[in-house]
Amino acid sequence: MCNRRSKQAMVLGALFSFLTLPPLTAGAQGIPVGHLTDYSGPTSDVGGPYGQGVADALAYINQRGGVSGKKIEAETVDYSYQVPRALAAYKGWAGKVVAIQGWGTADTEALVALVTKDQIPYFSASYAATLTDPVGDSKAQKATPYNFFYGPSYSDGARAMVKWAADDWKKNGGAGKPKYVHMGANHPYPNSPKAAAEEYAKELGFEVLPAIQYALAPGDYTAQCLTLKQSGANYAYLGNTAGSNISVLKACETAGVKVQFLGNVWGMDENAMRTAGTAANGVVFPLRTATIWTDAAPGMSLFRDVSKMSDASGKAYRPSHYLAAVCTTLYMKEAIDWAAANGGVTGENIRKAMYVKGNWVPKGTEGVCKPSTWSAQDHRGMLEVDLYRAEVKGPTEGNLTDLIANGAIKMSKIATVDLPRKKEWLGW
Amino acid sequence: MDVNLLFQLTLNGLIVGALYGAVGMCFVLIYKASQVVNFAQGEFLLIGAWTCWWLLTKFQLPFIVGFFFTLAFMMAFGFILQVVVLRPMIGEPVIAVIMVTIGLSIFFQALMKWIFGVFAQPFPEIFATRSIDVLGLQVRTVYVMSALVSIGIMGGFAWFFKFSRMGLAMRATAFDQQVAQSLGISVRSVFALSWGISAMVSALAGVVVGVANGVSSALSVFGIKVFPAVILGGLDSIIGAVVGGLIIGVLENVAHYLDSQFLGWGNLYQVAPFYVLIVILMIRPNGLFGTRDIERV
Amino acid sequence: MAFAISRPCGDFKTSYGADETIFATKTSLIFCVGGIGLLCLAPLVVGAYWLNLLIQIGYLGIAALGLNVLVGFTGQISIGHAAFFGFGAFASAYLSNRFAIPVFLAIPLAGIATTAVGLVFGVPATRLKGLYLAIATLAAQFILDDFFGRAAWFTGGVAGTSAKSLSIFGHEVIGDRQYFYVVLAYVLLAYLAVTNLMRTRDGRALVAIRDHYLSAEMMGVNLTKYRTLSFGIAAFFAGIGGALYAHYLGFVSIEGFNILFSIQFLAMVIIGGLGSISGTLMGTAFMVLLPELIEALAKALAGSPIDKALSLKEGIAFLKEMTIGAAIVLFLIFEPDGLAHRWRQIRAYWKLYPFSY
Repeated sequence: MCNRRSKQAMVLGALFSFLTLPPLTAGAQGIPVGHLTDYSGPTSDVGGPYGQGVADALAYINQRGGVSGKKIEAETVDYSYQVPRALAAYKGWAGKVVAIQGWGTADTEALVALVTKDQIPYFSASYAATLTDPVGDSKAQKATPYNFFYGPSYSDGARAMVKWAADDWKKNGGAGKPKYVHMGANHPYPNSPKAAAEEYAKELGFEVLPAIQYALAPGDYTAQCLTLKQSGANYAYLGNTAGSNISVLKACETAGVKVQFLGNVWGMDENAMRTAGTAANGVVFPLRTATIWTDAAPGMSLFRDVSKMSDASGKAYRPSHYLAAVCTTLYMKEAIDWAAANGGVTGENIRKAMYVKGNWVPKGTEGVCKPSTWSAQDHRGMLEVDLYRAEVKGPTEGNLTDLIANGAIKMSKIATVDLPRKKEWLGW
Repeated sequence: MDVNLLFQLTLNGLIVGALYGAVGMCFVLIYKASQVVNFAQGEFLLIGAWTCWWLLTKFQLPFIVGFFFTLAFMMAFGFILQVVVLRPMIGEPVIAVIMVTIGLSIFFQALMKWIFGVFAQPFPEIFATRSIDVLGLQVRTVYVMSALVSIGIMGGFAWFFKFSRMGLAMRATAFDQQVAQSLGISVRSVFALSWGISAMVSALAGVVVGVANGVSSALSVFGIKVFPAVILGGLDSIIGAVVGGLIIGVLENVAHYLDSQFLGWGNLYQVAPFYVLIVILMIRPNGLFGTRDIERV
Repeated sequence: MAFAISRPCGDFKTSYGADETIFATKTSLIFCVGGIGLLCLAPLVVGAYWLNLLIQIGYLGIAALGLNVLVGFTGQISIGHAAFFGFGAFASAYLSNRFAIPVFLAIPLAGIATTAVGLVFGVPATRLKGLYLAIATLAAQFILDDFFGRAAWFTGGVAGTSAKSLSIFGHEVIGDRQYFYVVLAYVLLAYLAVTNLMRTRDGRALVAIRDHYLSAEMMGVNLTKYRTLSFGIAAFFAGIGGALYAHYLGFVSIEGFNILFSIQFLAMVIIGGLGSISGTLMGTAFMVLLPELIEALAKALAGSPIDKALSLKEGIAFLKEMTIGAAIVLFLIFEPDGLAHRWRQIRAYWKLYPFSY
């Protein structure tokens, strides 16, 4: 018994000695940047590729000499979508980092007041419209001058698809009022664009049906599909993430529902198409980049170099999230460049740097990253939304790279919707 | 009042409810035999689904063979898990054991993600026809299969508990562990067997959900979904679990019908089972079929 | 009973008051006061990272204390604690934003509001026992979750709601250093209150209900009253904890008050030791520090020879989660009575050395 006790004491002592490890080794010569990811939690199916994109882009930047000769010292914390861990990571960074690459709604919302107070630009992968008002006098009622994201907000993406749907209805000779319905969970992420999309749909002459709810987890959604069918909806917006969308698409395929599904940025991607199979055929969804991995574009060679940072063979297929992540990181890099040349690398200067260029495309990414404009009154960087259609013609067994190569899974661009920069649309 | 839609929804509820009932049976089996609330039940489904998927895609086995191997593996898995983790916890307060199962669920979730990746995977097509027409409703073949197999399992369990020696031993152990031990029943093998069988049946449910929705780590939410069904029917009644599952399945669908046709709230599908659960628990505190706790002073 | 081990041999109490003291020996009192004094010095010494962890342990510890009263002392089970925590957070933000009540008062008021909600959900407790009660609380969790999502007037819906910063008698509390003292004060008050509660008649009634409710009822303890009261107390402390959380972050959103969070509270209480007040704080510290410790180990491991040998790379992320789950399981297998019990064993060992039995 003595031995066990003293052994326990020794083990405890050894473990506690780790507590003296400082979380961020402050390198005097580097530019510290924080990076929050979800590699192992509930959003890891999209968090993995996105986080990998950010990590690879940072490694690529450092390999090319960093920013103004200094390397970016990024600390990546996988917070598994648990707010307390994101908070602890942030507290370790406050006062040290000059910018943060964030992830989803959980961490972005938890840290929004703190980054505003501490003046640290936060590049999130959460595209909620409530993060787009730097001044705070819009419907968002919340000033978020330090929150940025690359891509259309969820609301703008939904508005773009509603506009496309209105044109599509007329083009296909539809008579009378088309019916639009919002489907999603009762949760901030799917609810984010609901009001905006329904309002715009009404404006464009849609009949807006009562929203249909389904949970953010896979399950049996036959009931929702049957009611969808019975309601006669023509266009249905799927607000949830990929996992539950797959269940809904499959259930609706079985139930024989003939509806044009509209997806969201995180709700449909190449992996979701593969898992859903033919059920995903025809789903229209927005993309943040002007091209996908297999397209030829002048900037794509940069992305292939970035991809080699973690995949030396160069054969891995990189989904849309990876490309968007690289774009986001490169915007941050160019902002830090400008700040270094104009007053020093501080959070405030990086923020000012984001407003300098209009129709900004990071150098070397032409044709992939879409031109974005941020201003001190308006953080809606992208109002021109590319819409793609998922095409899945047959069985989708096998790995993704092969399926894309032989054309079983295809994403084709069907429209580019240019939304007007309306002041009344800011923040919601 | 769209009667046809209501009928279709009720039918769908019954079929999906059979699936809930199957998972509920596993849950009740473990509870009945070892008084443990298994929070890791969802992970059993997940492990079963991934194992079957892996056997089918890696080795190109036909479904029946792969499924059989999955069942065998899960039986062994449940057995080993019980021996390694739960036997040391015999005699400890129930809530500590519940916490152990929660810890196990965290462990297995992460392990499955590590081994099989974070992306959802489609299940290979195992049936010639994807969906069958049942009384006017298009139902996925796999759900029909699960309903039929669940009924078979129910019958099997009923026979097992009533007429076989081992089943009788399990019932005795559930009733009073000490008395069972003093009569020569090996409580340890009863525990191990109950966990093994529970894991096996969970694998079936997991495979069904995997075929219907693709296999992903989010599959384990079925474990939590089953709680209302099990409580509704009574924690220690196998029939109760099945009836509870069917009720919850039908309730969800009918609530959604009412919601979409008349109320327009949108959330009844998720919360109606919980509201009904609370009401039923107030009337019958031990669930519909649970043993009435008669307290003699 | 908990204090019996530290009582020196041959010490005879001559009054009830002496028998019921919180600190059985002078030494333990001195150590406790000394510990608090050290904590007061902490903000001056530790970095922002550790300060944040201490504050987290603080407000989560208050909520876990409430749960321990419910689970450890009264013997009920609740898996809906995160919903009460969230309710407290939203209530405090709502009260301070909408009614311009100073945050200093809004926090206790939020606690009281949460108590009201807790009492409502405690009503089923009067009829249900054991696991049926657990599921009723699970239902409460989902129902409250749904309510948070729908009641945009209360929670801000999609956008969440921002919470003002605390100010005491005109001095605004800015920064973690100052907020730490606020949280420390609340922790002290909460823990003192519950320790005191357990010395009173009501506290003994709760323990009686846990141990053998039939006998308790026969002795005249009103089961309904005390079971509901227990829920109310648990909700009160959860509300206070939630309110402190809201004003710390400055923003409350619906994300994060889910079933997983409830389970974490349960873990804090069980690992700390059911029915032990000091154990609650230890259990909370364990649950907060464990992921951070594993993260630090993972960072140390990444790129090291072990990593290359086993080619872990991306697996480290999952290994982290697995280690947390395994740590909980192993801890409970080897010490099912929790950290408090282990601590008592260690103290008894040193006290009775060399007689280690």
